[in-house]
Amino acid sequence: MAEFRNCRLPMSREEAASLQLGDMVTLDGTIMATAGIPTHKRIVDCIHGREELPVDLANAAFFHLGSFSRDQTDEDGRFDVLYMNPTTSTRFNDVMPEIIRHFQLRCVGGKGGLDEHCARALGEVGGVYLSFLGGGSPLLSASIRRVVDVAWRDMIPHYRLVTLEVSGLGPLTVGIDSKGNSLYDRLAKQAADRREDILKALGAARSGTPAAGPSPRQIED
Amino acid sequence: MPITDSQISELAQDLYSWALRKVPDDTKAALQSARDSETSETARKTLNMMLASARAAEEGNRFVCSDSGVPVYFVRIGTKARWDADIKGAIRAGFTELVETIDPPILKHVTNPLTLERGYFGKDMPIVTFDLVSGADYIEIVCSPKALGSGRWAAMELFTLPTMETIEAYILDVAIKAGSQHCPPVVMGVGIGGTFDYCTKMAKEATLRPIGSVNDDPTLAALEKRLADAVNATGFGPMGTGGDTTVLAVHANYAAGHAFTPVAVCFNCWINRRTRARIYSDGTVERIE
Repeated sequence: MAEFRNCRLPMSREEAASLQLGDMVTLDGTIMATAGIPTHKRIVDCIHGREELPVDLANAAFFHLGSFSRDQTDEDGRFDVLYMNPTTSTRFNDVMPEIIRHFQLRCVGGKGGLDEHCARALGEVGGVYLSFLGGGSPLLSASIRRVVDVAWRDMIPHYRLVTLEVSGLGPLTVGIDSKGNSLYDRLAKQAADRREDILKALGAARSGTPAAGPSPRQIED
Repeated sequence: MPITDSQISELAQDLYSWALRKVPDDTKAALQSARDSETSETARKTLNMMLASARAAEEGNRFVCSDSGVPVYFVRIGTKARWDADIKGAIRAGFTELVETIDPPILKHVTNPLTLERGYFGKDMPIVTFDLVSGADYIEIVCSPKALGSGRWAAMELFTLPTMETIEAYILDVAIKAGSQHCPPVVMGVGIGGTFDYCTKMAKEATLRPIGSVNDDPTLAALEKRLADAVNATGFGPMGTGGDTTVLAVHANYAAGHAFTPVAVCFNCWINRRTRARIYSDGTVERIE
């Protein structure tokens, strides 16, 4: 995938700032991942000193990825990760602003984006949101080079907090940039703006008359 | 010899396992065709990644997605089929065996809605529904595991004597609300009419129809076409990061009803998990997709 820009983790502030909405990148380095709402609540508990966070999330690349980690019974304490794939990030909207700000996260990601509060938090800390391919498990899992740590093993596998070393993870699409601009907000606004014209075109198609304006497929901004 | 428990059990396992590893051929063809007509470069690249992921899963015998969903089976029993089996029990047994033996193992997605406890099993799992096929001498089983990504955006509303304008505006608004979230491009299923329960079932069954097939009812065929154009005009695109392709197809069913009219909309994400096979009364198993 040499056609995509490769970024080394931890990502520098400058590199994050240089990424534009819609850019596609691959990542090399260390990432942290979980797909659990209870895990996010537990991270917030750690921020408030109720528990000690087992990993260092400062400036980290923290992604909403579900993975299957498994105890390697032949080697004490070693886990392997059989596969991983993104989950819907908007499920974590209510806790992500605090997590982004507290740890000054440089990269977050998953699929489906985050809301405007999270985008604002990313803008404040100079972090970006990266969109993973849903249903990309074979491609994404192939980038795992080493399982660095599997924390919170008392949780079910996809809730655990997993630290992985990856190479060529992606391609990932920049969905929210380091200034807090969001492709998701733009697309939602675009759809809302287009709605009236789309309804008109539906009405014209229903009555069998050719659409007075462009057909829905041809509508551009 | 009539159809047996073990045949049904084995097929229930296979159908689930295949569904996790293979994107249906019609869906791959639709993704390719979308890739060829896309005007957005990001969207074209995203569609290419989808095709590459589907290919890698098939060739490497891997799961396309880590969310293996909850097990959902549709059983259609031919009225001429002969069986000596506890069909529902056999499907449950098949799923239990799958959980114990499948490689790689699946994640625990089955959730008790009252406690949020998650595991492999739970009340009424797998979800199995039945229908009859007049005159057929087979039992047909469709497996369509349902995951969170697209599952959570389904919606239904009850109207009173609505116009088509109202119905279509509602369908468009459900699509706009799902926006970038449901791993587009999706197959969108629509049910119109009937009753509360029947309408949602029609919408779900509509998603199982092959992409590219033309609705037998010309009114619905036209509705499907214009709604697909309408939803694609929203611009959410593949993975919701922009583009011309938000749906691969809209499939609709309708039924007569009273003056209250339910309208239901549901989605299958781009991997469109769906497998289907028949067991004939003579024991032959035919894999259809």
